[in-house]
Amino acid sequence: MRRAAQLWFSSLRVITNRIASEGQHLPTAAALRPACSTWQTAWRVADLWHRDYTRMATDNYVLPEQWSEDLKDEKGEPMSKSEFKRRQKAQRVAAEKAEKEAAKAAAAAAAPPKPAKEDGPALEDDSNEITDPTAYFENRVRYINAKKAKGVNPYPHKFHVSMSLPDYIAKYGSLESGQQETESTVSVAGRIFSKRASGSKLLFYDLKADGVKIQIMADARNSELSLEAFTAVHNECKRGDIVGVEGFPGKSKKGELSIFPRKFVLLSPCLHMPPSAHFGLKDQETRYRQRYLDLIVNSDVRSIFQTRSRIIQFVRRFLDTRGFLEVETPMMNMIPGGAAARPFITHHNDLDMKLYMRIAPELFLKMLVIGGLERVYEIGRQFRNEGIDLTHNPEFTTCEFYQAYADYKDLLDMTETMVSQMVLELKGSYKIQYHPEGPEKPAIEIDFTPPWRRISMVSGLEECLGIKLPTDLESEEARQLLADLCVKHNVNCPAPQTTARLLDKLVGEFLEEQCVNPTFICDHPQLMSPLAKWHRELPNMTERFELFINKREVCNAYTELNDPIKQRELFQDQAKAKSAGDDEAMFIDDNFCTALEYGLPPTGGWGMGIDRMTMLLTDTCNIKEVLLFPAMKPEENGPKKEGDS
Amino acid sequence: MLNAKPLLDAPQRLRRLRPVVSHGRLVIGRAVKPADKAEVQTAADGAKKPGKDGAKKQDNKVAQSASSPEEIRDIRLKKAEDLRGQGLEPYAYGFDRTHFTKDLQELYAELPAGAEDEGAVPVAVAGRVVAKRVMGKLAFLSLRDDKGQIQLYVDRNRLDACQPDGFSAVKGLVDVGDIVGCSGTVKRTEKGELSVVATGLRVLTKSLLPLPDKWHGLSDVEKRYRQRYLDLIMTAEVRDTFRARSRIISTLRRQLEERGFIEVETPVLESVAGGADARPFRTFHNSLGRDLTLRIATELHLKRLVVGGFERVFELGRVFRNEGLSSRHNPEFTSVEIYQAFADYNDMMTLTEELIRACALEVRGSAQVSYQGVPIDFSQPFRRVTMAELVREATGLDFEEKMAAAREAAAAGGDGGGAAAVLEETRAAAEAAILAHPDKEVRKSLAKVRSAPSLGHLLNELFEAVGEAGCVQPTFVCEHPLEISPLAKPHRTKPGVTERFELFIYGREHANAFSELTDPVDQRTRFEAQVARHNAAFAERQKAKLEAQAAGQEAPADSEDEYEVALDSDFITALEYGMPPTGGLGIGVDRLVMLLTDSPSIRDVIAFPTMN
Repeated sequence: MRRAAQLWFSSLRVITNRIASEGQHLPTAAALRPACSTWQTAWRVADLWHRDYTRMATDNYVLPEQWSEDLKDEKGEPMSKSEFKRRQKAQRVAAEKAEKEAAKAAAAAAAPPKPAKEDGPALEDDSNEITDPTAYFENRVRYINAKKAKGVNPYPHKFHVSMSLPDYIAKYGSLESGQQETESTVSVAGRIFSKRASGSKLLFYDLKADGVKIQIMADARNSELSLEAFTAVHNECKRGDIVGVEGFPGKSKKGELSIFPRKFVLLSPCLHMPPSAHFGLKDQETRYRQRYLDLIVNSDVRSIFQTRSRIIQFVRRFLDTRGFLEVETPMMNMIPGGAAARPFITHHNDLDMKLYMRIAPELFLKMLVIGGLERVYEIGRQFRNEGIDLTHNPEFTTCEFYQAYADYKDLLDMTETMVSQMVLELKGSYKIQYHPEGPEKPAIEIDFTPPWRRISMVSGLEECLGIKLPTDLESEEARQLLADLCVKHNVNCPAPQTTARLLDKLVGEFLEEQCVNPTFICDHPQLMSPLAKWHRELPNMTERFELFINKREVCNAYTELNDPIKQRELFQDQAKAKSAGDDEAMFIDDNFCTALEYGLPPTGGWGMGIDRMTMLLTDTCNIKEVLLFPAMKPEENGPKKEGDS
Repeated sequence: MLNAKPLLDAPQRLRRLRPVVSHGRLVIGRAVKPADKAEVQTAADGAKKPGKDGAKKQDNKVAQSASSPEEIRDIRLKKAEDLRGQGLEPYAYGFDRTHFTKDLQELYAELPAGAEDEGAVPVAVAGRVVAKRVMGKLAFLSLRDDKGQIQLYVDRNRLDACQPDGFSAVKGLVDVGDIVGCSGTVKRTEKGELSVVATGLRVLTKSLLPLPDKWHGLSDVEKRYRQRYLDLIMTAEVRDTFRARSRIISTLRRQLEERGFIEVETPVLESVAGGADARPFRTFHNSLGRDLTLRIATELHLKRLVVGGFERVFELGRVFRNEGLSSRHNPEFTSVEIYQAFADYNDMMTLTEELIRACALEVRGSAQVSYQGVPIDFSQPFRRVTMAELVREATGLDFEEKMAAAREAAAAGGDGGGAAAVLEETRAAAEAAILAHPDKEVRKSLAKVRSAPSLGHLLNELFEAVGEAGCVQPTFVCEHPLEISPLAKPHRTKPGVTERFELFIYGREHANAFSELTDPVDQRTRFEAQVARHNAAFAERQKAKLEAQAAGQEAPADSEDEYEVALDSDFITALEYGMPPTGGLGIGVDRLVMLLTDSPSIRDVIAFPTMN
């Protein structure tokens, strides 16, 4: 049986290729882009899948050689000339196919193939899909052009949907097997994921929308159309198409929730062979470059972005209920301030002005606090002109908030509350499973149960390394000691080996490594934190913390430095570091310093990387998985074709 | 034309609204009378501030005789040192506030004049000192926080009893502009002013620069935008505007989420800028070694998501257009784009009405608002009228008829001369109508009418010239010509036009929506035509420029269209996978905020607008 289906398929491909070449004169078909990367994989997959199916044709009806006015079909219904021609062609196809099969069979010296039945108004389904992607595409373009030529719009303007699929399932999911509510009329719409014909009057479709699926049981007897028209409508519809269905709800005898259509409208044909739902779409490049395909095929992808949206919603609600005001500050600035990173540069033509894309909204948000908006936050995009890797994308989303009269201790508590509640609300538990090295490698458990561990940075490092760092970290002696430690422990710190950079590397190696469960690393030295306020107790340190989860920084917060004199001094140090070759040192923003002179209240400021938080809660370890359209390297020589490999 | 009034109107408007005191609300309700013989210090630091000891007196004399900001800064720096000398950090780490001032005003609304709530637990408030008067053993400070204002009643005896030398510190070291924290009990003065009687008062942040003396009616309006934080400190209306902005955006989000829309984020940096016709910003990504453009619209990415099965999506975010500044244009602005599968432009009209009405109710408490003195009514369904109809009303030219004639001529065959004749005949009539127009601004559009490449473009140019300004009440202008709407679906019954609308209010475009074009074959054809037309014109101008240079002449001025466009073929591939019938809607958030906060310029609603 399997074999027969395969033979039947290869013959079909020959035919459709021939049809396709006949269709070359159609300019639109030729103009549309030919094979793109995904279907090369897709068709092979689809082809394989089809081999699991055989075609079922049951009727015995002999088509006469000539059409006549009174010609009847197998049901005794009058047959139109076009239908007669179609069938004639089908017969010819069958004949050719039989020929081919015979040839193949002979060549292979295999068992004689079953003669395929190709009579009657056959309902086509997934098993008779054209398997060559180019032919498939051209065939469908020809189909829509033919419709247009007949004055029929293949892309209807509107289909009224009375119920979403999730609502449909909620409402009718409890029907008994075999039960039908023929009195109700419901209209739903979505994408066809599979199509199976059963005889000449019945079709089963899987219809998906909003991440859920129901069955369409299209029975000619329920249709408003004649059998001929019913067959025509359904033969036009292929896997991947968007359809609208109006009918009544019910369950099949096997208990599958279905809709029984009275009306079935093709709303938007899928011109390409869709990747098979069965084998999915695994190639990462294709998944990111053609996210829409990824979303169609891989249902868990959809839930990643739903979770992302819920995380942002949670943060908004958390801050809104605490009296914070959401604001928007510029993404293009004269000076890229608020962080240390290489900015994107652009140019405003009309003003003939160089502008930088923001690297952080910090300085603007603090200016709003100076202006009297005591609790502000911004959730938005930041831009850093850096390389792309598993945790970095050139544009990423952060939330920063500023709260007047709060300090970093308040923010430590607030962070614990916010993040642990978020995890509890989204995951139903404080403890989550996470695969830090991908789904194939072992999982770890991350426990968000508050309170979380707090490590004071320098004393933590001293304890870890069994040394004592000098009080004056600014001294050359301290720098040298750190450099020696790096050498001793084999920690690589590329030039320039400033104290801040050396410390950062050591902390990364020895402290961050301990932070699998949420852990605060606190009290950073001032020289690493030019915007944070000096610590009220620990000399040369600041009131700052970073939250690490799974060894990665997720939050960064501090009591804001609001002494304008001190701020200018620290900016000067940054300028010195910059001229000494540290291109990650901060730019000086004089306007910001002036604003500070008008008085910034004592303020706690906080930032969170939304992408990294989303990675944790969606169990993904590549930032591209949580960005709908991640930045990608340019494709070499146009779209890559996996089929070639 | 009913365009935005010039920027200079803004401060005048503010003056008109609050004519009482030059410092606005800095002086609390009961205006200060010089006859009080009090030592008054308000926003300006020029007032007398006699200190306790000789040194301070001298400082203040300096302040009095010459109060340049630099000198005041030096004096205040010294005060900060003095505070440190007394062991009081002039930049405190935090403050435990028990109440916002507004909470106290509400809690003690019933407290009679002269009464003090002595039994209560002490309250603690914090904020900026916006006015200060010292009268012997009493000092009155006006303290403003995020939500309101209250008076601090500083009685030397009571403060010094809890905080030795507290009163002299208030007198000598606290300036208007400082951030202070104050604890005490609540009392209403005989004159009816709710106050906190200070039993503890300390400077939390010492301000170094004096608040500006004159802010309202400032001749340099730009200063307001450049130093927005001062604008916020000085002007209650500005604070209200940004609060309203936040509420409008949050209302939009809530309304959409209630309808089952999911908010998504699509890239700002892209290789091809699409979804609109505008000059993009360009940038360069170092590690990819690749040119990128900043998005000019979110449309094409959001539609990909509809293809991917997100049937209701929206993105509220920044878009960027490399264009000049005006009272309605900022290079970066906020839009919300909304896509709903299985909906069409009619559904989008209903959604638009509902969203705008909800925002008006949220921030104005009524669906009937006034903008720049003109009443605008959102309570009724908005007027729906076709573009052709509006142009016919204004000029008598019937474009439906002309378009039909052109189609007939084209259908009759020949070399296309017939259709071209219809275009030229219509153009002549349009030019005549423009030239006869009484408004000089309208006559300026003659050049655009002359160069319109098609009947559709001509209709649009005429509409922009004579139709827009008349749409003062909310009006859906519908059925834009096919030629100017490359992403909209052709109208289901009327040839030559699309299922599209733009919402006009007060003569300004506020929203743009269509039944989205879902046919990939048609989409490609239309994109190609658009790209070809644009790039041909661009190449022509480049050539003219080079020729002018070669001839040693001055090159023609850059036009707004001085950029090349490219076709987003991946978007078309997405459409080829099948996009459901979809309604799409874009609303300019900044303009909506302008409208609902009665702000004349876009710069009044963007916290930090782009400045020259």
